[in-house]
Formats: sequence, structure tokens, C-alpha cells
Amino acid sequence: MTRQRLFQMVLFAYPRQFRLEYGKQMEQFFRDCYRAERVSRGRLGVGGLWFRTLLDLARAAPREHLENLGKDNAIMKNFGKNALAFLGSIALVVMAFLLLSYGRKHEVSTILIFGRVLDALVTAGIVANLLIFLLMTIIHRNPLRIALWTLLLVNGALLLVSTVVGSKVDPNFNLGGVIVGYVVSFLFWLSLHWIWSKASGPRPVSHES
Amino acid sequence: MFHILLALSDGDLHGYGIMQEVAEHTAGQIKLGPGTLYGAIKRLLSERLIVEADERPDPELDDERRRYYRLTEFGQKVLRAEVQRISKMVSVAQRKRLIPKPRT
Repeated sequence: MTRQRLFQMVLFAYPRQFRLEYGKQMEQFFRDCYRAERVSRGRLGVGGLWFRTLLDLARAAPREHLENLGKDNAIMKNFGKNALAFLGSIALVVMAFLLLSYGRKHEVSTILIFGRVLDALVTAGIVANLLIFLLMTIIHRNPLRIALWTLLLVNGALLLVSTVVGSKVDPNFNLGGVIVGYVVSFLFWLSLHWIWSKASGPRPVSHES
Repeated sequence: MFHILLALSDGDLHGYGIMQEVAEHTAGQIKLGPGTLYGAIKRLLSERLIVEADERPDPELDDERRRYYRLTEFGQKVLRAEVQRISKMVSVAQRKRLIPKPRT
């Protein structure tokens, strides 16, 4: 089992589309080679097989990546998308900080629960959007679904922390206000991501190979 | 790629079979690794020199997850042309006495 897992790790050096298309066959191929080497030459043969496999990886993986790059410029396309998403996240964080400093300066926290909502919007916004950005670059799944679960978990975790810590530290702690704050924050950021997903349209089918 | 086409000239083979065939006809000098082999298969498929075979040579004895590959007509033409080219080069080398002529 270990050798199979090790080989699966080796496969991660190849482009995703190549892995999807040939990964299972390559695993089968390696299993066949392993069996043959173990029977015919024992440990020495198995060592030689790993050496050849790693040497082959060093030669073949860069070639597949280069071919991928040359075919549809996939890396540059993703780089552009990621740069845009990163700049968007930075802009959101800056806007959130400006709103917070405005709120603090004008003491809007005294107006009903506006301060709580603002706090929740900023903290959940920074943490959740950075996480969403990271997850979207790693996991190529539906971005809105990633945003939904991340926002739910982050807002939930922050609500829990605020409730536990705030009730001990702040004598004027208002649980209702904190809950409303994180619910509004969740709905606000989810709406933004929903609008973003509608504006960017459906994800195109990847043709990278 | 030439070695893979040559290996498939006798019939359908799966990846490991191709590797064995190549190792055999090069007297063990070339042992294809998984990345090189499937990278070459990918390119041969895209150039339509080979196709994935529909039927399996011996379905009862074989793992159904294996994929077999077959030389296309175009692949056979390309292989023949390449063999003729190499053959001409070998003839030239023999005339120049770089390699001995085969005994008949």
C-alpha cells in the first residue's frame, strides 16, 4: 500500500489533466513493473525501478507542463485570474478597514447594533475571503459552494469565539447583537460572492492537456 | 514514439505490454518509464497514429481496467515510411563501411 501511495504522490508532479487521463493506467503500469522486478531481481530490482521512475518523472513531468503551457497558455490565464482575485480581495479588505475606522471615529457603535455588524463584517470578511481565495486556487470546484461553506464556518467560528471571550471580557456584552452581526456578515459576503459568480458566468470546461 | 509504433505493429498492447515489447526489441537498452510512455501515447493518440482498442485480446484472462492501444492505418503508413528511411540510412552506412553488411 505504501508504494502505491508513494507513486500516487509522484503522479502529483504531472499536470492535472494528464493525471486524470492517464493516472490510473500509470498506477497499473507501475504495479506491473513492481511485481516483475520483485519476482525477478528482488529488492535491488525494486530500488532500480524507483530510481528509473524518479528519473523518468524528472524528464517527463516538465515536458508535460511545458506542452500544457504552450498549448493554451493555461498558466498565464490562471495567473491573470488569480491576480484579479487577489487584487479584489485586497480592495475588499481595504474597504472594510476604511469602513471600520469611519465607524470608530464617528462612534457608530453606539447606534443600535451597527458597530457589531461592522465588526463582524470586517473580521469575517478578512478571514473568510482570504481562505476562499486560497481554497479557490487549490481546489477547482464550484466557487460559490466554496464561498458558502467557508463563510458559514468562519462566521460560525467567530460567533462562537466572540460569545465565549466577549461574555467574559466585555461587561456590556450583547449576545443578540453579536448574533445579528454575524448573520448579516454571512448574508452580506455570500450575496457579494453570488453576484460575483453570476457576473463571471459559468466556468468554462478545461481543455488543458 | 517509433519504438511504440513498432511494438504495436504485431497487435494490440496495453502500456506495460508496450514497455516489455520495447525492452525486448532493444535488448533491454530502453525501458520506458510511466511518464515517458503515457506522454508518448498521448501524443500518438492526438496525432491519430494509434487508437484505443475497442475489444480486448483475451478478455477472460485480463484486467478489464487496462486500456489497449492499436496502430491506425495512418500509423502503419508512418511506421513503414520511418522504417524505409532508417533502412536507406543503414544502406548508406553499409556502403560507407561504417557497419558491416549482413551475411546472406
